Amino acid sequence: MTQSDNPESHNSSPLPEPVRSAMRDYNRPPRLGAAESDAMWSAIERDAFPRRFSSPSAEHRAYGGERWLSARNLLPLAAVLLVGVVIGRFALPRKSAAPVSVAVRAPATDSVGVPELYQSTASRYLGQTAALLVSLPTEARGGHADARFLGRAHDLLLTTRLLLDSPAAADPRFRTLLEDLELVLAQVIRLPSDQSPAELDLIRQALEQRDVLPRLRSAVADISADD
Amino acid sequence: MNREPELIARVVAGDRLAARELYDAHVDRVFRLAFRFAGDADLARELTQETFIRAFAQLGRFRGDSALSTWLHRVTISVVSNAMRKVKRFRTRETDLDAAAPMIAESPSADPDLRERLHRAIDELPEIYRITLVMHDVEGYTHEEIANVLGVAEGTCKSRLSVARAQVRQKLAPFAKEWLE
Repeated sequence: MTQSDNPESHNSSPLPEPVRSAMRDYNRPPRLGAAESDAMWSAIERDAFPRRFSSPSAEHRAYGGERWLSARNLLPLAAVLLVGVVIGRFALPRKSAAPVSVAVRAPATDSVGVPELYQSTASRYLGQTAALLVSLPTEARGGHADARFLGRAHDLLLTTRLLLDSPAAADPRFRTLLEDLELVLAQVIRLPSDQSPAELDLIRQALEQRDVLPRLRSAVADISADD
Repeated sequence: MNREPELIARVVAGDRLAARELYDAHVDRVFRLAFRFAGDADLARELTQETFIRAFAQLGRFRGDSALSTWLHRVTISVVSNAMRKVKRFRTRETDLDAAAPMIAESPSADPDLRERLHRAIDELPEIYRITLVMHDVEGYTHEEIANVLGVAEGTCKSRLSVARAQVRQKLAPFAKEWLE
C-alpha cells in the first residue's frame, strides 16, 4: 500500500455543503430521451447482433448516423413486405376463400407455438398490439394521431422486429403474423407525416385484407392457453 | 423475482429481445456515469454504446459473483478510462494552442467563477481520484459499490476519496476560503 492509499493518513471529512452542491453540477447529465436510447440501441444491435444486417460496413456504429427506424428506411421495408404479401396472395394457390387465419394456415396444428421463454413477452405484446389497432380508428381521426399513440406504435414496431429476430418467430404462423403486424405498424407510425385520411383507409384495408385482428386474437388465445 | 440470470443466459445464446430488456434496465445509469466523466453528450453516447457492445460480447464470462449492474459499471469505467486518456491528450493539445494566453494573463482574483474552478479542479485530478470522487460525492455510490466496480479494497477507496477531497480543497483555497470554512 502506498502512502496515498493509506486510509489512516488522510482527513476524509466531507467537503462543505456549498462545494458539494456545486459539485453535483459537475458534468450534469441530460435526461436520456427515448429516441436517443433507441438510436443507441440500433447501433449496439448492429455491432453485437449483426445477423439482421447484410452490410455492416455501411451501417457501422456512429451515433448520429442514419437510423434503422427512419422513415427513409421504413418505406422500402414496407414496400418490400407489401410486394411479398401481394405476390404470395396472387402467385400461390389458395385452397379456400375463407379468411386467412392462423388456424387456417396451420398445416399440422391449429395453434401458434411460441417457446415458453417468450410466451409472457409475446402474450403482452400481442395484447398491446391488438388494443392499439382496435383503437386506431378513434385515435387517428382525420388521418393523424397524437404523439403518445404514435410512441406506443413505435415501441410495438420495435418489439415486433425484436420478436422477428428471436426464436419466437420460428413458428411460421407466428412469423407471418409478426410480418403483417410489422407492415401495419410501420404504416401507423407514418401517419403524422402523411396527415391524410387516405393513409388511414389504407391501413384499415391492410388490416381487413389480411384478417390481422382475428389472427391476432386467435394468437393471443393460443399463447394464453399455453401459459 | 430477479429475471436477470435468465435474461443473461438468453443474451449469451444470441437473443436480441433479452439483450434489449437488459439494455433498457441499465442504459440510463450507464449513460449517466459516462456523461459524468465525458462531459459531452455525443461522447457519452459513444461510450454507452461501446460499453454495451463490450458487455454483450463478454457476458458469457460474467460469473454472477457481483450484481450485473456492478459488473456493467466496471465495464463502463474501463471503456470511459480508455477513451478519456485519448480525449485528454487531444484536449491538452487544444488547450495549449487555444487557451494559453488567457490562462497566463489570469490572476486568482480575476476569476470569480468558483463553480468553474471547482469543476476544473475535478477535471485536473489524477484519474483514480477523479473516478472515486465523482462516483462517491457526485453520483452517490457507496464505498462498497465503488470498491466492487474498481476491484479495490474499500480502504483504498476511502483513501482515494480523502486524497481527492484534499486536492480539491487545496486548489480552491486561494479562491474560496468562505466556501471551505
